[in-house]
Amino acid sequence: MDSAHLFSGVGEHSVTVNRISARHWHALDDDEVAGRGEAHQRPDGRLFLSIDAWSEPVFDRLAHAMLADLPRPLHTVVDEADLDLLVQWERAGFAPRRREFEYVIPTDPQVTGLDSAQPPSGMHILGLGAAAEGPLRVLDGVIRDEVDATIGWQEMPAEVLSGPDGRLPVDPAKYAVAVRDDEYVGLVRVAPLPRQPHIGLVAVRSGVRRRGVARALLAEVLASAYRRGLGTASANVNQSNGPAIALFEGLGARRAGSTLELVLR
Amino acid sequence: MIKKSTDGIQLEGTVVECLRNATFRVELQNGHKVLAHISGKIRKNYIKILPFDRVLVEVSAYDLDRGRILFRYRN
Repeated sequence: MDSAHLFSGVGEHSVTVNRISARHWHALDDDEVAGRGEAHQRPDGRLFLSIDAWSEPVFDRLAHAMLADLPRPLHTVVDEADLDLLVQWERAGFAPRRREFEYVIPTDPQVTGLDSAQPPSGMHILGLGAAAEGPLRVLDGVIRDEVDATIGWQEMPAEVLSGPDGRLPVDPAKYAVAVRDDEYVGLVRVAPLPRQPHIGLVAVRSGVRRRGVARALLAEVLASAYRRGLGTASANVNQSNGPAIALFEGLGARRAGSTLELVLR
Repeated sequence: MIKKSTDGIQLEGTVVECLRNATFRVELQNGHKVLAHISGKIRKNYIKILPFDRVLVEVSAYDLDRGRILFRYRN
């Protein structure tokens, strides 16, 4: 579209990288698409890149062209086990910024030890789909404001970033909620994936933390999955989030992998 | 279903094994098995791939035993 980068030396052909739209690049090898690059802007404004190429030289040329076209900083994410891809991004100048662990969590209450978990006195838990949308949206907003004022959402998994209007769509079917005096004070959001539900967010209002609210919320959603015959759930946790790591590992969760977020400044 | 895109053949398949180095063994509808990585778009969106997931795979024109998972179907 608005730019082309010419290279030679891939096989017997020259490779041309074309920017075909504001956010997409194609590497053409003898008129065949040998690789694609994409830049995606997250709601917080950061640009994340991805490159799909069948060979390292094509990857390098796409990266070279995209980096020449785009402003810094630029980000990408890599499965830490994918060493080939990690090396390719590092060769392009990217460096690790943060790490997320992926946990697989048993759902059997007798394994997690949550069979006797109860919400704190004066609280009760509303299961998935039982919360009212209005108060749930209010709680979501309060928790997001608390995060904004403390660690910031850039330290959180991408899946819990706000939408373009500053808020995520709130679907009560995906939330269990802790209630105190008719006020919602904690939530857990679950993506109902087949075979293995994914816990996207566990959050408790600052004034009621360290009382077992998160454990009670997890007891509800994990037991619900167990009753449906699902033996495990998954969750992503930032490496620096000690309380969340302690919570999940205390339930018998095991690390199944990790994702690196890389940045080029 | 087979789709010919501008840059390769796309086929539906089922994930039969998650391997250690972020790759997956996928059995295509024609019975052929490929080693597949996930596409950048799936990676950026933190989409989980598990055994028995039905997926759309782009098979490499350079090596028919390699593929790239482009899409995970809901069920």
